[in-house]
Amino acid sequence: MSSHSAPVTLAIHLALLSCISFGGFPSVLPDVHNFVTANGWVTDQEFTNFFALAQAVPGPNMILLMSFIGWKVGGVPGAIVSAIATFAPACAMYFAAHQLSDRFRDAAWQIIVRRGLVPLTIGLVIASGTVMARAGDAKWQGVALTIATAGLMIRTRINPLWILAGGGAFGGLGLL
Amino acid sequence: MSQVSTLTERNSDQRVMLAALFTEFLKVSLCSFGGGLVWARRSVVDQRHWMSEHEFADTLSLIQFLPGPNVIGIAVCVGAKLRGAAGALAALSGFVVIPCAMGFALGALYLQSAKLPVVQNILGGVSAVAAGLLIATGVKLLMPHLNRPVAVLFAALAFAGIVFTKAPLLVVLLGLAPLSIAVAAVESGRAQ
Repeated sequence: MSSHSAPVTLAIHLALLSCISFGGFPSVLPDVHNFVTANGWVTDQEFTNFFALAQAVPGPNMILLMSFIGWKVGGVPGAIVSAIATFAPACAMYFAAHQLSDRFRDAAWQIIVRRGLVPLTIGLVIASGTVMARAGDAKWQGVALTIATAGLMIRTRINPLWILAGGGAFGGLGLL
Repeated sequence: MSQVSTLTERNSDQRVMLAALFTEFLKVSLCSFGGGLVWARRSVVDQRHWMSEHEFADTLSLIQFLPGPNVIGIAVCVGAKLRGAAGALAALSGFVVIPCAMGFALGALYLQSAKLPVVQNILGGVSAVAAGLLIATGVKLLMPHLNRPVAVLFAALAFAGIVFTKAPLLVVLLGLAPLSIAVAAVESGRAQ
């Protein structure tokens, strides 16, 4: 494969994945990993580093991860093309779905479907927080921090940035 | 709920500026360590009152069943609700363009420097807090549904499906959705 077509191949692959990534982009991450390592564009170690980094900086994590991979494959243009391929197809679908659901907003069947789906969505949000906590919190201090944060967020209107800064300070001082 | 009625009034009287959509989602994106949902709910529901708690949960369930990076879906749907296609585009650009460029520059810098252990420790603390914030956001979304035991039950089942069985998300959703919708249909049949 000639090197100038690699970013294009990557972008097409990412756009396809964007269309089938039900439940968010993390669900197709294993596929992205296999695709880019099999092509020899990114090593295992690089992929892991990109992932950790994308989680650590604010902003749309998955788009950022794909842009790091695109950067490795084709420089800054590669990064931009990969980022766009990651979100553009899904965004078109979001918009179409929103317009459709808005048109039938008051239809009886839609109210029923919404009443059925909303509790599941909420359960999943709490579950992802829990899964994240278990991945990060090896020790009791981490668990305590997670629980304290949840309590503060529910009870007060404190700006979460302060809690994040506090958590970072705790960790930086080696207390976790 | 009075909040809902003021919402509709505001939307018809006073159109949200495209610039406000852009800057609000720029803010959401720049704040969202470890996931944007926490910040999206805080901005859209608590601060701007662009959607009620119910509408936000509705939007989230719509997005959950579509592919793609979900938090971006919130930007697109909130923008589309308030100002149509232009609004969706404004919210999306605020969410993606500047934060991605900044994150990319930061990341590229970091990848070319040495990796300090203290940075790893700080990241550990931040991620524990991020997890707590996400749990709290879910609990807040659940509050308006506490008077419906069935809703709480299905939320608990979805939670358990992910946390205890480690089944893929799609399996959990497709397994529970038909049941949950059927129960809601029976409920509304009884109500009539």
